[in-house]
Amino acid sequence: MTSLSSRDTALVDAAEPRVGFTVDGKPHTLRVPPTARLSEVLREGLGIEGVKVGCDAGDCGACTVILDGEAVCACLVPAARCDGVEIVTVEGLAEAGRPGRLQEAFWRRGAAQCGICTPGMLTSAEALLRRTASPTRADVEEALAGVLCRCTGYAKIVDAVLDCAADATTAPAVGAEVGAAVGARIDRLDGRAKVMGTDAFGADAWPEGTLLVRVVRSPHHHAAFALGDLDAWRRANPGVVAVLTASDIPGRNIHGVIPPLADQPVFAERVARFRGEAVAAIVGERAAIRALDLATFPVTWSALAAVLTPDDARRPDAPLVHETRAGNVLVRGLVRRGDAEAALSDADVVVEGAYTTGFVEHAYIEPEAGFARRVGDRIEVFACTQAPHMDRDDLAAIMALPPDAVRIIPSAVGGGFGSKLDLSLQPFVALAAWVTGRPAGVVYTRPESMASTTKRHPSAITVRIGAKADGTLHAMRFEGTFNTGAYASWGPTVANRVPVHASGPYLVPHYEARTAAIHTHTVPAGAFRGFGVPQAAVAQETLLDELADALGFDRLDFRIRNALTNGAPTVTGQVFAQGVGIRACFEALVPHWRERRAAARAFNATAGGPLRRGVGVAGMWYGCGNTSMSNPSTIRAGLGPDGRLVLHQGAVDIGQGSNTVVAQIFADALGFPVGQVALVGADTDLTPDAGKTSASRQTFVTGAAALRSGAALRETLLLRLNAGPDARLSLDGTMLRADDGRRDSASLDLAGLEPDAHGFVFAAEETFDPPTSPLDANGQGEPYAAFGFGAHLAEVEVDVELGRVRVLALICAHDVGRAVNPTLIEGQIEGGSAQGLGLALMEEYIPGRTENLHDYLIPTVGDMPRVTSILVEEADAHGPFGAKGIGEQVLIPTAPAILNAIRDATGVLIRDLPATPGKVHAALAAARAAGARP
Amino acid sequence: MQPFAYRKIHDVAAAIAQGAGEPNTVFLAGGTDLVQLLQDGIARPAGIVDISDLPFSSIATTIDGMRIGALAKLADVADHPQVRAHYPALATALGETASPMVRNMATTGGNLLQRTRCLYFRDGVSSCNKREPGSGCGALRGEDARAALFGASEACVATHASDLAVALLALDAEVLVAGPAGERSIPVERLHTLPGDTPWIDSDLEPGELISAIFVPRGAAGWAQAYAKLRHRASFEWPLVSAAVSLAVVDGMIEDARVALGGVAHKPWRAEDVETLLIGRELDPVLAREAGEAATEGARPLAGNAAKIPLLARVVSRALADAGGLP
Ligand SMILES: Cc1cc2nc3c(=O)[nH]c(=O)nc-3n(C[C@H](O)[C@H](O)[C@H](O)COP(=O)(O)OP(=O)(O)OC[C@H]3O[C@@H](n4cnc5c(N)ncnc54)[C@H](O)[C@@H]3O)c2cc1C
Ligand code: SF4
Ligand code: FES
Ligand code: FES
Repeated sequence: MTSLSSRDTALVDAAEPRVGFTVDGKPHTLRVPPTARLSEVLREGLGIEGVKVGCDAGDCGACTVILDGEAVCACLVPAARCDGVEIVTVEGLAEAGRPGRLQEAFWRRGAAQCGICTPGMLTSAEALLRRTASPTRADVEEALAGVLCRCTGYAKIVDAVLDCAADATTAPAVGAEVGAAVGARIDRLDGRAKVMGTDAFGADAWPEGTLLVRVVRSPHHHAAFALGDLDAWRRANPGVVAVLTASDIPGRNIHGVIPPLADQPVFAERVARFRGEAVAAIVGERAAIRALDLATFPVTWSALAAVLTPDDARRPDAPLVHETRAGNVLVRGLVRRGDAEAALSDADVVVEGAYTTGFVEHAYIEPEAGFARRVGDRIEVFACTQAPHMDRDDLAAIMALPPDAVRIIPSAVGGGFGSKLDLSLQPFVALAAWVTGRPAGVVYTRPESMASTTKRHPSAITVRIGAKADGTLHAMRFEGTFNTGAYASWGPTVANRVPVHASGPYLVPHYEARTAAIHTHTVPAGAFRGFGVPQAAVAQETLLDELADALGFDRLDFRIRNALTNGAPTVTGQVFAQGVGIRACFEALVPHWRERRAAARAFNATAGGPLRRGVGVAGMWYGCGNTSMSNPSTIRAGLGPDGRLVLHQGAVDIGQGSNTVVAQIFADALGFPVGQVALVGADTDLTPDAGKTSASRQTFVTGAAALRSGAALRETLLLRLNAGPDARLSLDGTMLRADDGRRDSASLDLAGLEPDAHGFVFAAEETFDPPTSPLDANGQGEPYAAFGFGAHLAEVEVDVELGRVRVLALICAHDVGRAVNPTLIEGQIEGGSAQGLGLALMEEYIPGRTENLHDYLIPTVGDMPRVTSILVEEADAHGPFGAKGIGEQVLIPTAPAILNAIRDATGVLIRDLPATPGKVHAALAAARAAGARP
Repeated sequence: MQPFAYRKIHDVAAAIAQGAGEPNTVFLAGGTDLVQLLQDGIARPAGIVDISDLPFSSIATTIDGMRIGALAKLADVADHPQVRAHYPALATALGETASPMVRNMATTGGNLLQRTRCLYFRDGVSSCNKREPGSGCGALRGEDARAALFGASEACVATHASDLAVALLALDAEVLVAGPAGERSIPVERLHTLPGDTPWIDSDLEPGELISAIFVPRGAAGWAQAYAKLRHRASFEWPLVSAAVSLAVVDGMIEDARVALGGVAHKPWRAEDVETLLIGRELDPVLAREAGEAATEGARPLAGNAAKIPLLARVVSRALADAGGLP
């Protein structure tokens, strides 16, 4: 019998209820504290880690299990009352150790991206299917309404469930011919563990006896603090093993993703600069740590004057967030071409507008989690991350260790979207394990994750755009202020990326864009899909509609006329001879635009009630990789003497699919079936640096490195076998064969060969760094080797009385260069546009107030319309097989397309996001007061 | 978390005795709100009495109406054929409550007695008279869009979050209560209290009193009803504002009316002036609009919640339009 009783000493009832229940068909009897959550008991008491926890509040549904036939949130069920019940978890859906039908369908459809919501989705769907063998789409959407997914946009999940209706059939697996993996809809190579619920995320697979860490954080926006007698406090709290503060850090108490500007302490010293900043960490036995009352922790605070907005931060008397940064300015960005001011005065029509957006939370369903252990004089950290090598280097400096004494083993990542590029929990667990000599782990609570990790930058943007009467864009001025929060994080990247992109994918001869990243006493703003470009696109793309209207042009036609083409200079003066696919994206939307607009007009003409429909379009472009900076990826691959073909794939797959895409590219370059490739994932001890998973760079950069590795390995093998370049390579056990059809095939037994240090008898290691050039003082130069392009069409229905907006359809055309795996790309488009919809309509993080997933709202399945993906393939010369990036950029055009559609429906443009019912209603009322329709 | 004693009790009298006898004891039903409050340290009871096995879960039609057990699950009530047929406002309100999983766990009694969603109450640290009597009210000068428009006090401006309670108020329902002094019934209208200077009190129940059932009178079954709720996303969210209406319409004329508002006060708010305005008139879009405006009469907004006023007007008009089959 297992007992959890020692785990939570707060619960003192003498007779802890003994409960007996079955889980996935197996009976269990155990004593549980009376209000221990069922989720906790299943995970910690019974080791069923397929049950995930995303919020502990009933908000996310990740913990859903089937209890006596009904789907319930295990985090809200007191385990004590489960006597006699029958529970089914994701692990019970497997059939004889293989994925069950529903799991198979999820895998096939690409319904699991990061996989953290998958167990909850599967159990909710299973409960439905047990009740209703042939559910309708509406039934499925209703059944899944309580499970949040931040990656997929839900479409593939709903489709997968419908595949399992009694009368439906699951599509067979797509096999890829040798040399034809690129372009095939093959199943995710890492999909099995995700649908089986066996993938190990940061909170899973901790060693026995792992100590728990709890972080003490500032409750104030800005405060001085003094720590009291920590030793006495520790002694007074049995089970607490150590209390860590800044003085315990062996190396430097600073980290940051952009080394020259690194400024964020692991633990604040004397002054805390944002609400949620860490000041200490408590390490101890799990039960003791959970039972702690942090109100007794010896720290005294004195609140200081805080600046929370850039406006306040720029007042002459404003307190400085960092002494060395005058005016609270972190960095400024500039791109200037031609003479924008003069050109605006000779434009025939000029439109302008001021826009604001708030903090946006990444809201991945997996809060930060992981553990560390000390192995002799080395430290190993198993945690969710998007950038293992950056973590290693920063952590080494913090721990005063050489980088090779730090090993980062990325866990499965339950969503990242940019925020898991920065260090979060790694220093706390590393330090705790180092000091105590025992493994130490932490799982952030949802409010803690939201309060302390990076956000999308709030922005205040003003734009003026001018055009000539003939419909050509002439000039644009852009001014953007970004609230970068208390620490630098990716603020400089936002400030530099935005001016390069703020023109949108158009030919703008006269251009000036200035940005500033301003410090405030708020949570640091960092990387979030698009690095500031989505905010800029909202302003620029909605103004294009006003401009087209003022000139009397069709809005889509106006964009097509002005779209960049091969050979035309961008606003940084870069000229691409090839690969500019924006026009093709817009043109792909033309028939839909005509059809939907006509339908919306017809609907409005006959609508008696409060509903009005409208259609909007918006375009985007996005540079793949770092802006004018080296950002190489290295891929190693080799053959072992046992005939195993191994690909060291160091690009962390946060759900976007790099494990699969990079392997597809490699397999085709080498000429082997992709099914034969064994992946070794990102692990700083084993796998060369494939850079960070951000900036839509993994397919483009790491994929190109994989292409080179595959080709290099092929060349080596052909040379050794003395075969021609077209020979077909194959492996049969340890026998390597080459067959070029002309003479007898050559073969070689790998078993007899001497392996190298990595265990390979043949190997290749290749690096790709996309060619860029630095930008000059006016921001002129070649910031990226390639851009991805895209355009979205949104159809909305606005309730003009309640101000409520429903998106009816999204049609998304993206130039991806080459669709390496169409299923995965659609998944990125559907998931990215869901985030864009959230940005447009409902998401705003307010420090101290919306720190959970019911006050901070992200779209549910019912909020998402059908998303149609149109893949345009304008091959890029640098990209592997022509491929470009897609991951980040997909959400850029969604929000402006939706805002344009609202304006099309109602005549009002919302310039302050999100467009909540209150704001839409107020704008409509103001328009009515001014005598406008409707 | 505070230490506390936990007992599961199978007998109504014993539950009442426990609840009344030991100070600071709470009942645990579905647990969807209470478990949260316990884990966050907002509820710090000395003892917990688990009532989930008491015989309060049946849903039955009686000669004079419907009796819905206090332990009936929201999902079961929402799906009940009689509820759907006769009390559409109730079915809609429950269908739009929380998520399917929560509805499978949550009970009707617990829903009525769920505590406010006020952010300052829930964060466990801000000053809040409801949580820490005398500590002040963080929401009063804060910017919580959920704050009350009606019936608030200097001490507390919180709102009651239940959808169910609003629908029940419009249906003239009662709660049946069993307690140390025997049984009694309380109209839903009087179940919840206004904050006044005792904001830590949410309801009229005495220590040890249990809700055993909700009674919805038969009369309401023949009335035209609707529930309209406004929120920021499609599912899984408490109301920003909501309205339930129930109209006795004879030959096109409104003979009697009940209008209840949600998300605007410390209790489901009955809009009697609107009822008076409706009675004796024929429902058309103009009247629906007029009634919506009238519902906002007397609203006292704070810094962050004024945007709710026009939305409230529209939600009321919408509920009326839905009830009357207007476009
Ligand atoms: C994610 C989420 C979303 C939600 N969204 C909504 C929503 O949109 N609309 C809405 O209305 N609600 C919503 N809720 C609230 C939910 O409906 C309530 O938490 C639930 O109904 C409470 O019922 P319970 O049985 O779980 O009560 P418990 O949590 O067990 O108890 C709640 C309170 O009621 C008392 N109590 C319970 N039963 C009795 C009884 N019979 N007699 C006396 N006292 C009793 C308890 O002592 C406790 O104080 C949501 C909840 C969650 C978690
Ligand atoms: S409104 Fe009421 S619940 Fe909210 S902070 Fe004030 S006293 Fe507390
Ligand atoms: S963990 Fe249970 S609902 Fe989020
Ligand atoms: S796949 Fe759903 S949250 Fe990542």
